[in-house]
Amino acid sequence: MKLYDSFRSALQSLVVNKLRSALTMLGVIIGVASVIAMVAVGNGASAQVQATILSLGSNLITVSPQFATDQTLRAAGSQAQSLTEADMRSIESQLAGSIKAIEAEQGAGRWQVTAAGTNWNTNVQGVTEEYPAVRDWNLQAGEFFTESEITINAQVAVLGASTATSLFGDADAVGQTIQLRQVFGGGGGANAQRARIINFKVIGVLEPKGTTFGFSRDDQILVPLTTAQKILTGQRDRVNAIVVKALDSDSMATTSDDVFNILLVRHKISDPASADFTVTNQNDTLAALNQVTGTLTLLLGAIGGISLLVGGIGIMNIMLVTVNERTREIGIRKAVGARRRDILAQFLIESVALTGLGGALGILLGWSITQVVERVAAQQNLVLLVTAGTVIVAVGVSVGIGIVFGLYPAMRAARLHPIQALRYE
Amino acid sequence: MSLAGRLPPVADPVVHLRGVTKTYRIGREIEVHALQGVDLDIYPTEFVAIMGPSGSGKSTLMNILGCLDAPDGGTYSLAGEDVAKLGDDALAAIRNKHVGFVFQTFNLLPRLNAIENVELPLVYGGDRRQRRERAVGALEAVGLGDRVHHKPSELSGGQQQRVAIARALLNDPAMILADEPTGNLDSRSSAEILAIFQRLNAMGKTVIMVTHEPDVAAHCRRIVRMRDGVVAHDERVASPRNAQDEIAAGIGAGDE
Repeated sequence: MKLYDSFRSALQSLVVNKLRSALTMLGVIIGVASVIAMVAVGNGASAQVQATILSLGSNLITVSPQFATDQTLRAAGSQAQSLTEADMRSIESQLAGSIKAIEAEQGAGRWQVTAAGTNWNTNVQGVTEEYPAVRDWNLQAGEFFTESEITINAQVAVLGASTATSLFGDADAVGQTIQLRQVFGGGGGANAQRARIINFKVIGVLEPKGTTFGFSRDDQILVPLTTAQKILTGQRDRVNAIVVKALDSDSMATTSDDVFNILLVRHKISDPASADFTVTNQNDTLAALNQVTGTLTLLLGAIGGISLLVGGIGIMNIMLVTVNERTREIGIRKAVGARRRDILAQFLIESVALTGLGGALGILLGWSITQVVERVAAQQNLVLLVTAGTVIVAVGVSVGIGIVFGLYPAMRAARLHPIQALRYE
Repeated sequence: MSLAGRLPPVADPVVHLRGVTKTYRIGREIEVHALQGVDLDIYPTEFVAIMGPSGSGKSTLMNILGCLDAPDGGTYSLAGEDVAKLGDDALAAIRNKHVGFVFQTFNLLPRLNAIENVELPLVYGGDRRQRRERAVGALEAVGLGDRVHHKPSELSGGQQQRVAIARALLNDPAMILADEPTGNLDSRSSAEILAIFQRLNAMGKTVIMVTHEPDVAAHCRRIVRMRDGVVAHDERVASPRNAQDEIAAGIGAGDE
């Protein structure tokens, strides 16, 4: 039997039972669509997490101070943060040429900010001169502070994009002066309060970067590290983090080892296990997060897979009914010379046509769902990824389901004895 | 009762049965010895009626002749091929090549039109070239040249049976095997079908027809009577009735 005849015959019988074919196909359509949509959500979430991590700057190695965990070895007084700007400068000079950039940070907490009669409250952070290079963050106006401005504790500030807008509206912020004020003794009535006011000159505004994990990164004020240490916080010579930008992704492991060893020597620690700092490689973070999102994707795919399985059982059910209904036709075909494999092929092609078509429509539906979800959840910046791989797997699986669930009914048809089939009423 | 001496001296028989037996089992206990040693030779260009009361084994014989079933014992050669021991698929190929079936209930596929029904044997084998033209030719031969695109439901019983005959003819089989072909037809249509068979036979086709109606059998040139699983009686019909004449005279075949 020629393949063309088989296909024509299969399509004819699908067209004859339009409603039944459509309903049966619906099971596969929903199954494939849910696999496509679910996996797209998983992939999208994964890509978003990755993009978010990388938006903090790529190829980053972060050194954080660590409190001693063994309370018996260190007194409470020695649990101070152990990283200094000197540590940073030492890494900078020793690894010069084998890293791209390095910076140190100290958080200065939230401050009340006033400028030109407007009032704002935001986070202030002390950073060093290579912050824009490390964070892949350019300025939209003005310039960043230099090493010499750090040396002299200059009272200059670089504003986040939304901070600048909040304080100055559409006007140019660069060159303006802002006041950071801290209120003491609050709660005892207005007269009991005393305020400390420090003037800063705005020298630059950062490009907008959007939100990270729900927090706006554009609402902050950057000041020189030393200015934050000496004027704002009083925590001299302490930094919260040293961030190193490696040359590329491949050199990250070596670079983080180098950083670790330099700091061990500087801190005079012989046992790496008792280091008073931790070195975190961004690749490791990404790998850990990818594992989480991978599991999520797998789970979502499995939920879609179950609906696909249910659709497959529907196919088998309807094919058994079809074979039963067409017993006489099978007898006639056998009488005029159809062999077992001809009958088998006929019914297999019918079920594969059903699932294949269902799969194709399912992909369309799944893709439409992702488009709708993207529109609805536009504020989450969630991009749903329908990859070629997902589509190929979905088509393959739906054709496979046609074969697997169509095989038993088709075999029953092929095995019918012609005489019994002809007599069937 | 052998007819060998009285048959025309033709070459090899189309159907050659020797000692054919067939036993069915109904449930676990009951065995039905449907055929108990059938010897039968049918030669090319014969028009044979197989008759017998129900239970005589004529349906079983019909199934074996048509290669729809294999005998338990004995030998059967069809058009020179030994078919007694063949498996399902090999029998399917033999049916496709050598047997043209005509059934009491027509057995057309309701979803297909006349041409597609007639083409069906060519879907499963034989020379596929020009199959549409051949199907149309076969339909014209049975007088349905103007109904080729009709579905079975749009045709009368007699017309449906003519489509079935066209289908049976398409692969130019060694024999046409008709099982009660007029059983569901009125006498006028019956006469038309019998006239077609007589015309095909006159053109050299071998036709074997199972029937229980003596009036129908009277149109054949030889009558084989079955009883209790064996051939009980085998005779030539001296002067077969002519269906075409009966139609002309306005008398349907089978009218009592």
